[in-house]
Amino acid sequence: MLKFLTRIFSFLNKEIAEIFRQPSLILLLVLGPFLLMFLFGLGYPDENRTLRTVFVMEDQSTPPEQVNLFTESISPTIAEIKVEHNQADALARLARNAVDLVIVIPADAVETIQSNQKAAFLIYHNEVDPFQIAYIYSVSSIYVDEVNRRILESATEQGQGSAGEFQTSLEDAIAKTQQLRQTLPVGDANLATQVDELLKTLNDAHDKLRQFRSMSSSVIVNPFTSDVSGITPEQFSPTDFFAPAVIVLLLQHLSITFASLSIVRERRSGIMELFKVSPLTAFEILLGKFLTYLFFEMILAAILSALIVWGLGIPMLGNWWHYGLAVVIVLFTSLGLGFLISLISATDTQAVQYSMLLLLASIFFSGFLLDLRLMWKPITALAWSLPATYGIRMLQDIMLRGAPIPLMIFGGIALIGIGLFVIDWLLLRKNIEIQYSST
Amino acid sequence: MNSTKNNKPEGNVVETSELTKKFGESVAVDAVSMQVPRGTIFGFIGPSGCGKTTTVRLLTGVYTPTSGQVSVLGKNPVNFTKEDREKIGYLMQHFVLYPDLTVWENLNFAASFYGVNPFRRGHLRKLLDFVELRSDSNKRASQLSGGMQRRLGLAATLVHNPELLFLDEPTTGIDPILRRKFWDYFKELQNQGHTLFITTQYVGEAAYCDLVGIMHEGKLLMVETPENLRRKAFGGDVISIRTTEEIRYAHRHEIENLPFVRGKVKMISDQEIDVIVDDASTAIPLLVENLNTQRLNTESIEEISVPFDDVFVKLIETEKVDA
Repeated sequence: MLKFLTRIFSFLNKEIAEIFRQPSLILLLVLGPFLLMFLFGLGYPDENRTLRTVFVMEDQSTPPEQVNLFTESISPTIAEIKVEHNQADALARLARNAVDLVIVIPADAVETIQSNQKAAFLIYHNEVDPFQIAYIYSVSSIYVDEVNRRILESATEQGQGSAGEFQTSLEDAIAKTQQLRQTLPVGDANLATQVDELLKTLNDAHDKLRQFRSMSSSVIVNPFTSDVSGITPEQFSPTDFFAPAVIVLLLQHLSITFASLSIVRERRSGIMELFKVSPLTAFEILLGKFLTYLFFEMILAAILSALIVWGLGIPMLGNWWHYGLAVVIVLFTSLGLGFLISLISATDTQAVQYSMLLLLASIFFSGFLLDLRLMWKPITALAWSLPATYGIRMLQDIMLRGAPIPLMIFGGIALIGIGLFVIDWLLLRKNIEIQYSST
Repeated sequence: MNSTKNNKPEGNVVETSELTKKFGESVAVDAVSMQVPRGTIFGFIGPSGCGKTTTVRLLTGVYTPTSGQVSVLGKNPVNFTKEDREKIGYLMQHFVLYPDLTVWENLNFAASFYGVNPFRRGHLRKLLDFVELRSDSNKRASQLSGGMQRRLGLAATLVHNPELLFLDEPTTGIDPILRRKFWDYFKELQNQGHTLFITTQYVGEAAYCDLVGIMHEGKLLMVETPENLRRKAFGGDVISIRTTEEIRYAHRHEIENLPFVRGKVKMISDQEIDVIVDDASTAIPLLVENLNTQRLNTESIEEISVPFDDVFVKLIETEKVDA
């Protein structure tokens, strides 16, 4: 047993010494991710993009109040407003990216509406990013809603003003009807009843008119509003939201890179032949390397997590033990994936390329960029074969929701990790045998 | 360094019979049969690509034989247990340790993967003393010269005090003075009770071995002591005779007719000849007597040690003729 442990831990000193021979690498590993997160936080403040907008009014005789209606009906996302009268000039500026949006105000809007037709705003952009295009659609929709709302409010206020005169007339009519009621001869019950009903109708109409006049025009136009509340303990900035995913992606990538280069280098140096002649077994080699890298990366993950939580103020609402467990299983499974790459790669370059491919796959498919619920179902199988997918779910739940470690997800990634370990072990055994014995 | 197994039983630590290894259609080792007695230095000599390394790999269990039998320490190397492997040391042809690690770290790593007791500082220091690298123990392997790397490799091979050492071309690429030093190490290891199986391309190194196997194009031509190799190459011992008078044809003819003289007398100059005899020690007095009888004044007569390069060339030529 002592010899078994000695052989396994032979790799601990060796690998750690090799890593510490490169102080710049250590600095990069610890400070690099922290700086990335810091710059990410700085680079993406919790604000929406403002759009530099030009309004085009080709009809120069448009009254100023109408111009104001269109240019002031803006959300905070539309900024740096300019009004021009030449559409071609405005579009040229858009093409040069001097502005972000060109909104062409319909020239004969009033006439169009009065002829029972909708007047259309023409909105131009110069984006290629589908997310930015979706954003512009959203901003445009809000803008048009706002213009419509203002027009309706204005119309309502005018109606309320007109209703004042009608109310006076109605009050006069009520007074006269009351006088008429008093002059009716006693005994003409039928007529009296009819006059009473008329009075009631007039009073009802008066009450409704009074209510209409007393109501705010904005309430009449927009009677409903919405108030969205999350049931999570806190609301988060984009940096907060992305932090757990960034931690997972970095740890996965580090593990895969370290492990993928480890065995391929030794195989190429020839030391595997020496291992084969020595009492060292494939299981001991693999276990030794797993434990060494796991140990090293756990320290790295602890430093990185501390810097991110206490240095950048990223929320950590959950239990640190659960967090630790999630990180360890992500590292273990990622190492398994890295060793797999190492065992199937013929050269360092190939191993690095595989690692980069996995990083790209993780960025696209792990839910880092896009929600997995948006993904076509069959492709989610690929997503759930990546350690990062599990890691991001676990860390988001623990850090942002304060939830315990999700057992199903933990079990899933643990199964993959164990499976990879077994495959690596079998491959390493076979690899040594093939390399030296079957030729 | 620990002294080992001086009291081990006699016998062969390596035995092979018709050992063959093919790579596809190419035969790398062709029906090699040999025995390596315990406690000897066995030199495995041959040019590059003749199958020496393949043979070592067959003996260490790295390769599985295509056919034939192999027994190392009484077992088939392919079926070695961990305990069997602990008895073997293997120095590979190229430096395979870690260039970014120091001499000490590399040695410590080797000790660990052989399962050497963790309390081993003293043992490692003695090893470094043995290979004269103690003062360089903090140097990285990448900063060492080729010779120092070989010495580090040797120390790593010895770290678990193995019974049997396979050293694959340990002296290749290092200067003659250091090569001589390596052979001093090997002699010392032999004195400590180790058995050494050493491959080399330097034919001259055969002189340091107890037994020499000559390898050529995958075949083991012979296994002999260095002296017997010379005899086999030239048909006996070579004696150089120098006289003060000219040695004429009649003189040579007289010598060639002596019963212990093999073949023709070789003329080196008018006054110098080489004679091949069965046994130099008994032939020299008889030759002096014959020269006196022929009234030739002997200036010098001595057995010459033919360089092993010549021995090797002669043996290969003979093999080609026989083939």
